[in-house]
Amino acid sequence: MRCYQIQIPLARARGLGSARSGASQWWAQRVTAIALVPLTIWFVVSIVPLMAAGHQAFLDWRGSRINVVLLTLFVPMLFYHMALGLQVIAEDYLRRESTKITAKISIQLACLTLTIASIVAILR
Amino acid sequence: MTHSHRPTSPALQIYRPQLTSVLSITHRLTGVALSVGSLMIVAWLVAGAIGPSAYDGVLVFVRSWFGLVLLAGWTFAIFFHLCNGIRHLFWDTGRGFALRTIYASGWAVVAVSTALTIGCWAAAIFLAWGVE
Amino acid sequence: MLIRSSDQNPRYTLLKRFPVPRNFKTDRSSRITRGKLWPAPSRAAKIKRLEVYRYDPDKSANPRLDTYEVDIEDCGPMVLDALIKIKNEIDPTLTFRRSCREGICGSCAMNIDGTNWLACTRFLSETANPAAIYPLNHLPIIKDLVPDLTHLYAQYESIEPWLQSATAAPDRERRQSPEDRHRLDGYYECILCFCCTAGCPSHWWNGDRFLGPAALLQAWRWLADSRDEATGKRLDELEDPFRLYRCHTILNCTRTCPKGLNPGRAIAEIKKMIIQRSS
Repeated sequence: MRCYQIQIPLARARGLGSARSGASQWWAQRVTAIALVPLTIWFVVSIVPLMAAGHQAFLDWRGSRINVVLLTLFVPMLFYHMALGLQVIAEDYLRRESTKITAKISIQLACLTLTIASIVAILR
Repeated sequence: MTHSHRPTSPALQIYRPQLTSVLSITHRLTGVALSVGSLMIVAWLVAGAIGPSAYDGVLVFVRSWFGLVLLAGWTFAIFFHLCNGIRHLFWDTGRGFALRTIYASGWAVVAVSTALTIGCWAAAIFLAWGVE
Repeated sequence: MLIRSSDQNPRYTLLKRFPVPRNFKTDRSSRITRGKLWPAPSRAAKIKRLEVYRYDPDKSANPRLDTYEVDIEDCGPMVLDALIKIKNEIDPTLTFRRSCREGICGSCAMNIDGTNWLACTRFLSETANPAAIYPLNHLPIIKDLVPDLTHLYAQYESIEPWLQSATAAPDRERRQSPEDRHRLDGYYECILCFCCTAGCPSHWWNGDRFLGPAALLQAWRWLADSRDEATGKRLDELEDPFRLYRCHTILNCTRTCPKGLNPGRAIAEIKKMIIQRSS
């Protein structure tokens, strides 16, 4: 990034031009956020008594159909929201293009894996 | 055009921390903390699916002093990220941008998330008492 | 209308700066060293100290912080008055931009006590003692309090801040209803001092691609103009993960605007308009 001295300022400001995208990520982050507002409240309310109880309480809680439905909603929303947020952070702070791409790929794959692992665990 | 030998003026080093920037970076930090916390949720769900011994292992960790400290941090992080997230959603509708409103909603987020954290732990301690 | 920095909410904060070392993560040539003290003459009645960022491009020395003692009994009420007094009477090498001295040209924007403001509309009585005076943040410094704004002006140019219309020019002025004209209130008053852009953390880290609050407020001013016919093209050019969506609604911009404008709201309106277009 030290070679722009002889570049015309407007050329530097325009850079590679507009990507004409970005709205969909921004929108997805808001949609998952809206979904997570009630789901998070439900999750916290459910988990507090479970932390004080044992495995049987967990099985009873997971045995309820409504809880399974809400959990399978909560987990993908959570990890989608998390992937979007972490990607923005990576884009913000990582300078080198290769590091940035590696970080974004890792975030996406990790979140996908965690989603699938959780859903399999819920449905078992 | 920019000469690379020119010094860069200080920014983060001298800029005054304000409710605006402090709550914004807290939102980001709590988001990262919750991302780490989500690993705990996955571990908990998977352990629950494996069986009682694995599940008890998770509970032992959670009830250790280290686990409790993490849990306390995550509780605040959840409530802060939730409340400030709602504040962000309001902004996305184009509302609440008057400077006084920004500050009022900011302090409200701090107060409500602290109160919810305390309330949540009060409930948890009450329940744990009931079990024992 | 004069907007005092103390009109902004709140007037004081607990910390003066983030708890990081003063030269945290700065490259070797940008580190700030201690400069010298310029004591006030012994006949001074009431002394105020100003710590000022100094950098001389003709010497191979790092930037430094000089401390000036100014007799404020014999000085105008504003920070700019003190700076002019220093230049006239104490140290003629002190360099800063100034022109109108009444908050309309935007030349004397600088970081005063940790927030960006115009030196000509900031009362000396509303600053700490010693007052900390730095140039606008995270910009290449030409000399002392004079930052290189080339890139910020280029970013402003890149949003094409002029009326664009395919319709042939009418014989008289392009007409606009009073309601449509009111949509520009709070946006057309921007004086391009770049207090907001220089105070935006997102612009510090990604200023090469993120347009920053000043340019985006201007972009909204043209999007909101009923006479402009290039709205779609303007939105195309703005919809970009970096140009627009690096704004994370930190709102340091709205907090610091010395004209009391609201770049944060302008950016939210742009984001809304982009969603409106696709839904």
